[in-house]
Amino acid sequence: MTNSPNNSTNATDAPPSVGFWGEAWQRFRRRKLAMIALWFVVLLCFTALFAPMIVGTKPIVCKYKGNLYFPCLGYYKNSWENPVFRKDRFRNRYTINLKKKDPESWAVWPLVYQDPYRRVRKGEWKDRQGNPSGTNGAPNRINLFGTNQQGFDVFAQMVHGTQIALSVGFVSMGIAGVIGITIGALAGYLGGWVDTLLSRFIELVMCIPALVLILALVAMLDNVNNFHLMAIVGCTSWTGIARLARAEFMKLKQMEFITAARALGASRWRIMFRYVLRNALAPVLVPITFGIAAAILIESGLSYLGFGASPPNPSWGTLLKSGRSTIQQTWWLIVFPGTAIFLTVLAYNLIGEGLQEATDPRLRQDSH
Amino acid sequence: MFSYLIRRVALALLTLLLITFVVYALIRHMPGTPLTADPSMMDPSKQISAEEIDRLNRLYGLDKPWYVAYFHWLENVVQLDLGRSISQNNAPVTKLIAQRVPATLLLSISSLVLTYLLSIPLGLWSTVKSGTPAERTVSTLLYMLYSLPSFVAALFLQILLAVKLGWLPLFGMTSDGYESLSLMGKVWDVSQHAFLPIVCFTYGSLAYYSRFIRANMQEVVRQDYIRTARAKGVPPGQVVWRHAFRNTLIPLLTLIGLTLPSLLSGAVILEQIFTWPGMGRLYFEAIGRRDYDTIMGLTLMFSVLTLLGQLLADILYAVVDPRVTYH
Repeated sequence: MTNSPNNSTNATDAPPSVGFWGEAWQRFRRRKLAMIALWFVVLLCFTALFAPMIVGTKPIVCKYKGNLYFPCLGYYKNSWENPVFRKDRFRNRYTINLKKKDPESWAVWPLVYQDPYRRVRKGEWKDRQGNPSGTNGAPNRINLFGTNQQGFDVFAQMVHGTQIALSVGFVSMGIAGVIGITIGALAGYLGGWVDTLLSRFIELVMCIPALVLILALVAMLDNVNNFHLMAIVGCTSWTGIARLARAEFMKLKQMEFITAARALGASRWRIMFRYVLRNALAPVLVPITFGIAAAILIESGLSYLGFGASPPNPSWGTLLKSGRSTIQQTWWLIVFPGTAIFLTVLAYNLIGEGLQEATDPRLRQDSH
Repeated sequence: MFSYLIRRVALALLTLLLITFVVYALIRHMPGTPLTADPSMMDPSKQISAEEIDRLNRLYGLDKPWYVAYFHWLENVVQLDLGRSISQNNAPVTKLIAQRVPATLLLSISSLVLTYLLSIPLGLWSTVKSGTPAERTVSTLLYMLYSLPSFVAALFLQILLAVKLGWLPLFGMTSDGYESLSLMGKVWDVSQHAFLPIVCFTYGSLAYYSRFIRANMQEVVRQDYIRTARAKGVPPGQVVWRHAFRNTLIPLLTLIGLTLPSLLSGAVILEQIFTWPGMGRLYFEAIGRRDYDTIMGLTLMFSVLTLLGQLLADILYAVVDPRVTYH
């Protein structure tokens, strides 16, 4: 979307224009807080992407009976873990079984040997004690952020939970963006009875209490997974985007370049999605960014209420929920995930605001 | 104006009809009925036979398809009967809701008053001191507060003030032995319990409103008439209060209209965290128990308030701003 036609036929040697997005990026870069927030989100993305290599109990690479394997891929998807380990009955105890079944084997381990889905037991890793359970799992050198009541490591759950938080934000807002832009575009560009009908529809969805909608949809599913949650959040939070897109399309369709495109014989769809959408994208991106923050909040709130994905599910909200049940003793189950939720939401809000100020022409003169 | 109102109300009624229809369809499609979702039914000794369930289903009209039941419900609502809660021993829904109103109003009204009392001076102060280090610090702090999810803040405050320091009770609305307290003791007890929920309800909107006021003020102080006022020697305080702030009241007024539903809606997660016996909790419990009539009663109330609030905002807009008229 950055290659706007800027190779104009200027006779003078003016420096090439950087285009709308280039200019917006330059303006965005000047905002220190927004840049810190952006780096924070990038860091989170890397954490999410490489979570099994940061914390886990499955080797990143290991040599076993003469072959190289990558068991840590099993954290992404169960079937990506080579079946040979299941056949040899490893039962996820790689440290012990690798030595026992093949003395020649070697392995490269994740940075921290802990697991988000089970309790690490005594003797698994050198002569380390097993994880404490109950309310005794205060943070220490081995369990950086402590352990929960079942002895699962909180740091491991939080690192793996990053995947949920980020993907919920991106995927659900992707869905919401597609629905919202399509409906808003149709209503705004076509106008007339289509507009009346779609506007009423948007209002209707806005008025239905989001919680009823979400809880009812969650209750209808037997086994909720994170993709269900993403779809549900996406399908309930597109109204703001639709309204904004509608307003933008209504404004833009009266511009001269659209008249020009129509005069050249461009089809309706081509005008809508090639000419108008491109120019409406920047303002629509702002509520999408804020929406990501809201989606992360909804997901953690639902997990907190016990309506999140079915266990085992290392979501930040689930950690808060288990912390709430023993709030008198287990502060670490609340402070760490709570801070993570706060920082992530804050980062997206800061990025959203930076984006708004960088792309909104009305605010442009005001920025120093 | 009158014909505009008629049109708006007609449209609102239609929206209301559609909302209740959709919500009714949704909740009737959730697995389980009020008869099977009740936890006491899990107890084998209390389990009722299939014939008994059939009989009760017929009695409560649960054997009918949902769309028939919806029109039955609608018929009752038109006669101002919101129905009865099956899982709460057939208590009337209006009574159940009325029981929860005071607790929710206590939180929402005190938080609303606090928000306005604090955010207006804060917004004006940050306009006057715009650009100074103090203002920047406060604005950044407010922005961070705005991004702090209320349920995270609630849990943090509980840990700090209730668990570590022991100054405030952890949850509930009253202590044990509340009945035996004197009147002053009762007030003190409830206000102690209400302190944390009110703080959590307030800080987010405080941050939002003061930013909102500041943004509006910054637009206004650039206007020519402000420069004129300054030039003719109006004291700076008066310029801000009388010339600038008055002109930012219009968007603020419409916001009041839009906060109307939140007065009674409560907040599900916050009330859950503080075990506060308010509307949000009733809603949550009703969904868990598949208590159809209660869910519908609450949905109806919230939707009416939402639509009324939107209408009120638009009317207020026309009342305070002579440039706005509706046809």
